[in-house]
Amino acid sequence: MIVNALNGLVYGSLLFVLASGLVLVYGLRRVVNFAHGAFYMLGAYIGYSVAVHAGFIPGIIAAAAALIAVGVALDLVVFRKLADRDPLVTVLVTFGVLLILEDFVRTVWGTGNYAIDPPALLSGVVQIAGAPFPIYRLFIVLASALMAGGMVIWLRYSRSGLWVRAASHSPAVAAMCGVRTNVLGPLVVGLGAAFAGVAGIVAAPFLSLNPSMGAEILVLSFVVSVIGGLGSFGGAFISAMILGQVQAFGIVYLPEMAALLPFLLMALVLVARPQGILGKKV
Amino acid sequence: MLMKRRTMMVGGTALALALSVAGGAMAEGEALKLGIPTSRTGPYTVLGDQVVRAVEFAVEEANAKGGVAGHPVEMKIGDTEGNPDAGRRAAEELALGGYNVLTGTISSAVGLAIASQLDRWDAMYVSVVNKSPKLTGDSCHPRMFRANHSDGMDLAIVKPWLAEQEEADWSIIAADYVWGRGSGDAFKAVATDLGKNIKVEVFPPLGTTDFAPYITQLRDSGAKGIWVALAGADAINFAKQAKQFGLTDQVKMFGHNFVVDQTLATVGADGVGVWGNVNYTAAIDTPENTAFVEAWTAKFGTPPTNYEGETYAGLQAIFGAVEKAGSVAPGDISAAFAGLTVGTVFGEVTMRAEDHQLGLPNYLGRAVAKDGGAAIEVVQSYGPDVAVPAADPACKL
Repeated sequence: MIVNALNGLVYGSLLFVLASGLVLVYGLRRVVNFAHGAFYMLGAYIGYSVAVHAGFIPGIIAAAAALIAVGVALDLVVFRKLADRDPLVTVLVTFGVLLILEDFVRTVWGTGNYAIDPPALLSGVVQIAGAPFPIYRLFIVLASALMAGGMVIWLRYSRSGLWVRAASHSPAVAAMCGVRTNVLGPLVVGLGAAFAGVAGIVAAPFLSLNPSMGAEILVLSFVVSVIGGLGSFGGAFISAMILGQVQAFGIVYLPEMAALLPFLLMALVLVARPQGILGKKV
Repeated sequence: MLMKRRTMMVGGTALALALSVAGGAMAEGEALKLGIPTSRTGPYTVLGDQVVRAVEFAVEEANAKGGVAGHPVEMKIGDTEGNPDAGRRAAEELALGGYNVLTGTISSAVGLAIASQLDRWDAMYVSVVNKSPKLTGDSCHPRMFRANHSDGMDLAIVKPWLAEQEEADWSIIAADYVWGRGSGDAFKAVATDLGKNIKVEVFPPLGTTDFAPYITQLRDSGAKGIWVALAGADAINFAKQAKQFGLTDQVKMFGHNFVVDQTLATVGADGVGVWGNVNYTAAIDTPENTAFVEAWTAKFGTPPTNYEGETYAGLQAIFGAVEKAGSVAPGDISAAFAGLTVGTVFGEVTMRAEDHQLGLPNYLGRAVAKDGGAAIEVVQSYGPDVAVPAADPACKL
């Protein structure tokens, strides 16, 4: 029971980090970024390539740095240029970016699978409820909490965080008050991409790397952000935690329906509360 | 949309390759056109890569020798994405485009979806990877053949092994589709027959990333042995996570299609100790295999993997049927294939007329530690007399 709840917490934490990047970008740009899953995959591959030569921590740093660059480029080249167009156009372009990045990964790294071991310090097990539990999985929870906590503190208590919140609330009014929304765009999209990239390399030691990994997890992070309410951090947190537990316990108690449960939950939330758990009505 | 674009792209590249290969050949006459609907995306991509490599190798080799019975060989690839809908579409495009000798599909579910359309497309299908008993059982078809090992054949060699194991309590983890379910059921039948107990059975969907909830259940079941029917990326994810949870070291594990070169190359030392069926190994001692391994190693720098070897053997069998038929029409090849005895890397083997199953030898082995990683050690070999169970009476051809 405890181990099941922990399993759910680990997966929920990973989903939350991924979904928070999605939420951040949606909040500011009002665009559902399909390329987010590809960022996760790209971060895993870049991190992997650096980690096998230089170690795990440099791998994480490299993934974050590379994805910030990709995110900034995406904002400058796509989001800003298409800001006046129908959001659907931008969404389609992000889908195109997803395909390009997937083919890029196939060309550079091939279609085979890669696996990487956790750093030696985190590779053991601890006894929980009389059974061994991998330390690395606990590290995922800690790393997710640190990333999410850092982001919340930045948004709540820093001046630039205030600007981001203001620009997310109303870009035009924020700009009139002197907020440089043009600078915030690349910053926020870069940060969102970095979150996905770091999630990719952090997940790599327990999930293997393959070019389909982004598409697989993207669907669930969409479900998380829709259930939580698009653009809401608190909502994404609650829904990721619920989804993690639904997944962990669903597999044990309702195995025939386990794969369906996240979508069933999403459908229920959309019927009962279309704006999501903490989303605002529009 | 995604599928279409990829199918066209992959198909286009393959066509260009096939043309360049065919262009260099001396053969004349109508071309033998192989359609390869296989996994170019999705969890089985890594298997699809091996199939494509082996088919390309066999085609190139055949054309260099002047074709098959004077027919140059061409090939075209489509992407099944590992799912029956996309797979049927990809196969249809190939078959209706003239590439109607279909082979190379990974997922049994896709193979069965293709089989249902063979008459409509005037095509034939030769499995080189599909293991589901249904292909040569209740879903058998006059134009469908299996040139690889079925689940039934694998279980035929697992039974004597299992009888010798002291562990009485077993659990099952198997992919949630026709192959995994079939494999799980077959193991359950054999184990129960031997007086063993099955504690729990879990069926993760294809493409599962986090196996923790399943691993926890397997561990809590108290089983001392575990039957694992997962392949491709699923097998790799499970192997790594099971090791991290300490499960691999606690129990005896038998992996169905798990002790294969590509999986072990990726999971390395985390796979050591796992037992498994070894359907093909480069170490098979026949003149045909020695020549094949030599030529393959000269070209790629590494010996062929199990899937590459089995696919190549399948192509040898198809070419044998074309030679006997003296025609490239799927109907003629199919008629010649049933009952054909043909030389392959496994030696002389016969395509059984009753159910269209190729009578192959089979091998059992385990993953052992080697150079910090893992390698396959073949422990026991079985001839076709032991390894091939009787034809399923449900198959009416």
